[in-house]
Parts: sequence; structure tokens; C-alpha cells
Amino acid sequence: MTAPSAYDVVVIGGGVTGAGVARDLALRGLSVLLLEKGDWGAGTSGASSWMIHGGPRYLEYDWDTTRRSCIDAGHIVTIARNLVYRVVFIIPVLPHDRNNIERMETAMEVYDRFQPLKKAHPHRRLTAAEARQAEPGLSPDVIAAVTMEEWGVDPHRLVYANVQDAMAHGARALNHTRVTDLIRDGGKVIGVRYRGPDGATSEARARVVVNATGPWSPEIGTMAGVKVDLRPAKGIHIVYPHRISNFSISAESIDGRDLLMVAHAGFTLLGTTDDDFYGDLDSVDVQEDEVEYLLQGFERVFPAIRDYRPVRTTTGVRPTLFKWRRYEDELSRRYEVIDHSASGAEGFITIAGGKLSMYRLMAEETSDAVCRKLGHEAPCTTATRPLPGNESDPEPASDLASRCGIPALAVVRLQGRHGSNAEKVLDEANTARILCRCEPVTESELVYAARHEQVGTLADAFRRVGVAAGPCAGAACILRAAEVVGRELGWSATQRFDAAREFVRGAWLGRAPVLPHAGWAQEELAQGAMRGLMRNES
Amino acid sequence: MARTDSLAKLAWAYGVHLARRRLRRPRPQLGELLETYSPDGIRTISPAERERHPRLVTCINCGLCALAAGRIGMTRLPDLASSYMRLYARLGDASSDVAGDSPDLAAASAVCPVGLPLEEVAAAVRRMTIR
Repeated sequence: MTAPSAYDVVVIGGGVTGAGVARDLALRGLSVLLLEKGDWGAGTSGASSWMIHGGPRYLEYDWDTTRRSCIDAGHIVTIARNLVYRVVFIIPVLPHDRNNIERMETAMEVYDRFQPLKKAHPHRRLTAAEARQAEPGLSPDVIAAVTMEEWGVDPHRLVYANVQDAMAHGARALNHTRVTDLIRDGGKVIGVRYRGPDGATSEARARVVVNATGPWSPEIGTMAGVKVDLRPAKGIHIVYPHRISNFSISAESIDGRDLLMVAHAGFTLLGTTDDDFYGDLDSVDVQEDEVEYLLQGFERVFPAIRDYRPVRTTTGVRPTLFKWRRYEDELSRRYEVIDHSASGAEGFITIAGGKLSMYRLMAEETSDAVCRKLGHEAPCTTATRPLPGNESDPEPASDLASRCGIPALAVVRLQGRHGSNAEKVLDEANTARILCRCEPVTESELVYAARHEQVGTLADAFRRVGVAAGPCAGAACILRAAEVVGRELGWSATQRFDAAREFVRGAWLGRAPVLPHAGWAQEELAQGAMRGLMRNES
Repeated sequence: MARTDSLAKLAWAYGVHLARRRLRRPRPQLGELLETYSPDGIRTISPAERERHPRLVTCINCGLCALAAGRIGMTRLPDLASSYMRLYARLGDASSDVAGDSPDLAAASAVCPVGLPLEEVAAAVRRMTIR
């Protein structure tokens, strides 16, 4: 074990909240260590619906949550311009829906009051004919529709942008590093013990330890001898590797829950379920009946949905605050900053609950609590300070494309991930090669990610740059990606093959529940490529 | 308390909404919607395209069409189907990639193992590159 290091604050959990807390505290001048047991944003954040939304459904429960959510969404879309894009929902009303068109439009009229807070446009009301003109795939049964605007975001890049900025301001951030225990002095928490990716254990002392581990919060709480009450809820999404429609569409499930088909930059998410979860948080599987639940609900408004080929599923567990009796879908997405000193665990703070759209505000309030504890007076600046890549406007994609000799579409995607830093990323390696053609991803970007963005596995590369995220699901690019990452990280030929094989096996778990005929064709191609190139066992 | 307050305010808003609907004549709003979101690449597709759309996005990026017919403009045929067709909201920024001659798309379609109609894909992509 190495000698302990000392920090003002150790933050456990590298999801969007933990990364946001680390950034906030580092910007306030505190020394910070951020620890994540997997990869940045690989848990609940990455398994979200990829949206910065204001939460119109909270209008039924608590307008203040909607207002606060919209204000914070406005901050996020300002500091992370390159990562966000408009998502426009058509909300169709069908016979026997829970809400008729007048009630639905009333909700949107109220929501319009909050929309300017997040730089979004007001709703429109469409007749049945107009709705079907906007999206001809809607069911002929649609009576009318309203529209609603939200923001889409790449949560993996959002998390990493926060990590990156925290490190730029002095924080130390380690992924694939698991906290194995908390160091305590009596009841007081004074640090953490952790195990790095190489298996070596270390200690870090801290004046405050922040538990930002989402659904894993009770587990870390137990290490501190305190109880953190959550009611974890599992949600799944079906991923289609392309836009099904330019509009996002909402639907009602068989039990009256709202389902969403969200049109993201180059793919579509269909979700989500919301079920109490009691299982192993590190092994959450998607069941075929969950997939069927989503498809059944959605085909009522969009009958052609089963004609599209999904590429995989995602699943995650929401860290919902504990509440007895209510149905899962009615649980609040509120959050709570818990100072455990009253329970005897001085120096230990948990941030629990909440949602992606309010991560910055959650981080600010958690950081405020930390600063109060430390007697540190420095204001929060994360509402206005741009995240990396947003300091200036990126140049036109076609200009950068012609200068660097790559397709303009590749530049568009690169700028979406890196904003005004895109050219710096392209300069990292002296090649114009496109490595993953579906996304598309340049070899330079992958080299940059391996050198500067803490990519340690091919799954990390998937999250950081989107390699293998397209319709081929890695069949055409994952071995090339293994070569590039392996070259940068010093992997042997065997290690490169093993990394590719591990990626394919991991991806299979998410793909198996949704493979129709064409999906099996693609899977055979991927597996065949592996067997042929690696002389793999069958 | 917050729940009661929220429902009361929604009920009031509902009353105001119904009164307003009686006093104002409804007007078409689709045009305004499309104009608002045109800069974001959010556009309609025709009923005919909608019907064909599931067929146009089935590429599995095997690469066989590239062997049969090469490129459209600067873009390899597999990329056209696997990449450009999926990112079509941003194609206005990438029109230069597909400007130029078309190869023998019928030959390329003939070798496609999932029967992708590449002529239609090319036409759809080119249409969407126009801002």
C-alpha cells in the first residue's frame, strides 16, 4: 500500500453528480480527489434518456421542482452548448388516453411559462391532420397533438467534460478505482481506502468525504456506519442506431405510464420502464418482457415501430429517494443533501436522489454544504463558466473538414463532442483515417482519448468517442479500435484481441433481448469476424 | 401541500384554457412549428418516405457495396447508408461530402445482403443535405 495522500475533499462516484461536485469544488479552490469504480458516466448517468428536461410531469406534484429544473437546464445548455441539441416532442392524444387534448394543452401552457428559463420555445397545438403531416408514421387514430421542446445531451461527454474541467483546476480523478473502505476515527470519516485498476491499494485522507454514488449510496453509507434510504428503480431503453423520426414522440403504456421515443443526434432511444429494483446493482439485465412492454405501448401511436431494427438495450437504476406505498412512477425526482454528522459520521455527506437535468444544482448545493463544513468561502461559478470546448464558437465544419482532409460529417460529430477543441483533437495524430465509419470517429480522436481522456478499455472508448455505437455495433471497427488503443496503452497483440473480445461479449448482453432477423445477421457478421481474425473458439 | 397547491393551480389554468378556447378561433400551427425548428434540421418526411423508411436504415455496414460501386461524391457507399442516413438532422453541414457523381447504385444494391435500396438512400441523403 502506498503512503496516504491528503485532500480537502474526496468525492466517491464518477457519475454526472460526482463529477459536477468535483468540478465545483475544484473551481472553488479546494483540493479534490474523485474516485469512480467503473468508467465516467457508465452507471445511472449513461443509462438515462439522454435529456436535459424541465420535468413537465412534476407540474402535478410540485411546480417548484419544475422551475428549479428548468433554471438549471438553462445553465447547462449555456455552459455545454456543443453537447446539447433540441429535441421536439409530438405528444399525440388518442381515444381513451388518460388526458384529453384540452388537459394536455393546459399542461403545456403552464409549462410554456418555464420554457424560456431553459431557452426553449413554447408549445404548438396540432390537429390530427397536422400531426400526421409532421410525422406520417403516427396512428390514424390520433385525435390531436401538442408539441413540447426539451434538450438532448450526450451524458458520457457531459460527465467527462466536468471531470476534465475539475482536473484542469487541480483535482485528481481516477476511474476504474474502487473504494474498498472508509477510514474512520471513532465515528468521524477521515478518508478512503481504494483499489486501482492495477490492483494496488492506496489511502487518501480528507477533511470531508462526499458520497455521490447514486444507487450505490446505501453501500457506501454502510461503510460510514450510517443508513441511506433509497428506493432504487430500474429503467431500460431500447436503442435504434438511427433516427426513426426527426420528432420525438410520446405514448402511453398499457398501465398508463408515459413512454418516450427520443430522437437523438444519430440514434433513437425508446423508453423507459420504472420498476422497483432489489437485485445486484452491478449486474442489471434487460428482460424480453420489458422490451415487449415498451414496444406494445409505443406501437399504439407509431404502428411501424416493430419494422425498425434495434441495435441494443441500455439499463440503469435510478437513485430515487425512499417513499413507502407510492407507485414507482409517482416517486419524486427530488434530491437531498444529507450531512451525516447528526448520525455520528462527521465529515461524511451524501447527495441522494435527483436527475441528470439538475446535476449542476445538486453539485452546487452539495459543494455549498462541503464549504460550510470546511469554513471555506468561495462562490459557485459553475452556472456561468463554460465547460471545456465551449469557450468559443467552433469554426464551420466544412472549413475544418477541407483543411484536415476528412468528411464534413465527421467534423460535425467531432465538434459535437469537443466543441471548439475539435482541431486540437484532430492534430493529435498525423492521420485523416476514419476509424469507426458509422459514427464516424477519426483515428486521431481515439488516439486523443487514449492519451488524454482516461480510456483504459474499449468500452471506455465507446463512451468517450462513440466508437462502435452505430448500426454495425463494432463489427467493422472494434478490432481497428483495439489496435489504436492498444498501441497507445502498450497492450500486447494478445491483450488487443482480448480487449476486442471482451467488448463484443459485453455488448452482446445488451443486444440479445432485441435481436430480430436483421439483427442476427449483423451479430453473425460480428462474431464471424472475431472467429476469423482471432481464431477464436466457437 | 405542494401537491394540493399544484393541482389547484392546474385546475385554474384548465378553466382559463377552456374559456380562451371558446373565445379564440383555432389557427393552423404546423407551419410555425416547422419554421421554428428548421435550423435544427427537424423536418417532416413524406408519407411515401415514411413507408419506405424502415428499409432505408437497415445497413449493417458489411462493406460489400463499396466493392461493387465505390463512392458517391467523396463518400463511400457503406458510409452513406450507415452514417449519413442516421445523422440526417446534421446533413445540412455536410452537403459537400455527397456532392458529385453517383456510381452504379443498382449494382451496389444487388450485392447488399439485407437488400438495402441504395438509390433511394442516396436520393434521401441528397435531399436532406439541402438546408
